[in-house]
Amino acid sequence: MEVLHFGIILVALSSVFGIIYPRPDSRAVKPLQGGKRVAEVSYTGEIATEATRKKVVSESVFAWLLVGPAMLFIAVIVAWPLAETIRLSFMDAGLGGETYVGFANYEELLESRKFHQTIIRTFYWMFLSVALKLILGLIGATLLNAAVPGRALFRVLVMPPWVIPIAIGCIGWLWLYNGYFGVLSGTMMKLGITDGPFEFLAHKQSAFYSAIVTDVWVGVPMVTLFFLAAMQGVSRDLYEAAWVDGAGRWYRFRRITIPQIMPVIVSMSLLSAIFTFNSFEIIWILTEGGPRGATTTLIVDTYKTAIGNYKFGEGSARAVIIVLLLGAFSLAYLFFLNRVNRKYGVK
Amino acid sequence: MATLDLNNISKSFGAAKVLHDINLAINDREFVVFVGPSGCGKSTLLRIIAGLEEATGGQIIIDGNDVSRADPVDRGISMVFQSYALYPHLSVFENIAFPLRVQKIADAELKERVGRAAEILQLTDKLQLKPGQLSGGQRQRVAIGRSIVRNPKVFLFDEPLSNLDAALRGDMRVELSQLHSQLNATMVYVTHDQVEAMTMADRIVVLNGGRVEQFGTPMELYHHPATKFVASFIGQPNMNLIPAKVLEAGAGDITVELDGGAKMTLPVESQGGIVGSKVEVGIRPEDVSLADEGLRVGVRVLERLGGASITYGTIGNGTRFCASLPGNAPVQEGKDMTLAVDPAACHVFDANGDVLRRQSAPALVA
Repeated sequence: MEVLHFGIILVALSSVFGIIYPRPDSRAVKPLQGGKRVAEVSYTGEIATEATRKKVVSESVFAWLLVGPAMLFIAVIVAWPLAETIRLSFMDAGLGGETYVGFANYEELLESRKFHQTIIRTFYWMFLSVALKLILGLIGATLLNAAVPGRALFRVLVMPPWVIPIAIGCIGWLWLYNGYFGVLSGTMMKLGITDGPFEFLAHKQSAFYSAIVTDVWVGVPMVTLFFLAAMQGVSRDLYEAAWVDGAGRWYRFRRITIPQIMPVIVSMSLLSAIFTFNSFEIIWILTEGGPRGATTTLIVDTYKTAIGNYKFGEGSARAVIIVLLLGAFSLAYLFFLNRVNRKYGVK
Repeated sequence: MATLDLNNISKSFGAAKVLHDINLAINDREFVVFVGPSGCGKSTLLRIIAGLEEATGGQIIIDGNDVSRADPVDRGISMVFQSYALYPHLSVFENIAFPLRVQKIADAELKERVGRAAEILQLTDKLQLKPGQLSGGQRQRVAIGRSIVRNPKVFLFDEPLSNLDAALRGDMRVELSQLHSQLNATMVYVTHDQVEAMTMADRIVVLNGGRVEQFGTPMELYHHPATKFVASFIGQPNMNLIPAKVLEAGAGDITVELDGGAKMTLPVESQGGIVGSKVEVGIRPEDVSLADEGLRVGVRVLERLGGASITYGTIGNGTRFCASLPGNAPVQEGKDMTLAVDPAACHVFDANGDVLRRQSAPALVA
């Protein structure tokens, strides 16, 4: 479990810093987790062969050898960018050079009403989107888990939003939302809901909620499949025992399914929250943070400042704030997960 | 408390027919054990009684009511699963209380009923723990607690002891028998272990290939097995089956020549036309004794258990023969021994595996 938490936090951190530094993709963290696992496996392997094999190196040296590459990897991909970002956040840095300005970047942000609004908007974006993903994922997984004919087909049909490259999916949505050529606007006109073409992404509110819809569309499949896997892990006997005792469908769902998959629900909500918090491509392709900042979340704001306007110092300060916020969020999550495990766990 | 009648129960999974016209009448307060090898349909039959599977044909009557189409909860049954099916996230108390919570029983009554069940099963000081913190035997008891708290008419047990180690299994067998007399309930118990069946059952149903081979008391099954299958399934070590040829058939006996040439006259009833046919003679390992003359057996393996010596060997043209002799029996591996066989203790099965009724047999224990 610790490894998983560690991994989750690393995913969070690296995806933040990946925005500022040319990133080899957030996927880069995965081999790192793999490296950890290898270390564990070999450790047990070591025990198994202890008696039969002559020791060439001591166990602790061997352990460091195994962990070493992964640690080097972390140092280059995560630790160094992190340190650089923190250093830059105290600089007035641009294409012309760097000068030390102390906490000026942070002070500026703390006083900026626009930045406060961005933070609020980001959390609203995250909570709304994650809530929808979890609810739809739970409903979808329940339906997919039910014994209905042809469910294998439905399981495959859930995948596309996840499998299609995000950029391509988003361009599809861009066309859907288009006022003159889009299906949505056209249908609304035909049904008489609107008089003329409606440009979904041109108005502040509709742009925000349209972006949410697309984000949910992209995010639901993963949540659904994780929930489905968790549901399939619940022993059939439990349901049969409950059925024999007279528990109806809803009662079984409420008192068996939900508690049994609770740890997965909690883990998925954190992962999904971090992905959503840092969701950049979807917003960037749809609206570039517009109209008039209506879809500018922290990550978009950071990108615009640091990369769009070459204000590396101010951008870094924003990135550091994101790290702090996500760090606090992760700690709250660990606390919450502990409580869930105590309540729903086996001990 | 209740009677349970199964009328012509059959079950098919697609084209595969797993149960063929099962008819059983189980009495009130009876402890009936379904026993048989894997895949004989015993668990399926139990699940049909529970209502977890629907029978393809036939009726289930509990206490005079046809419940064939009723939901499990309306049948008045409760079931203990092989895996115990405890809810890992709920405490022992909540596990036992689960059926009552479903029925929305008021808190005071619920506490009292759970408390009573816990007392019967000696779980009172474990109520706040989670199933993961209990031993196998305790989990087993929680599962039983959950089934007795509802006061069902019929208790169903699906191989409840198969996950326990041998010593604990013996203890739980005794506990279950005690529970049966304490609750005075009708119980149906499924197992593949003939020792459990023999020790716990009032009556045993031996199932094979989806058919009832025999339904009777343990002693009936032991002394009067109806078929070769029952004979070889009941009893430990297994009954020896020796190919033989019928030489003569009298009014109350037949004379056979065993594999290897030994001739015996056995007091069993026979019908005409049996002379010359092939039969099998069943001899239980415990029904033989060392003697100066009789059946010659080459001892291959000798197991000294202290109280008894089990020998595994062959007779005639390699037919296997097992004998259970006294602990100090003067036999040796690799040497021959001679065994006296009481003709009255022999069973004879015809080519179809059906028994030829024995003239004499030990009086049945009531």
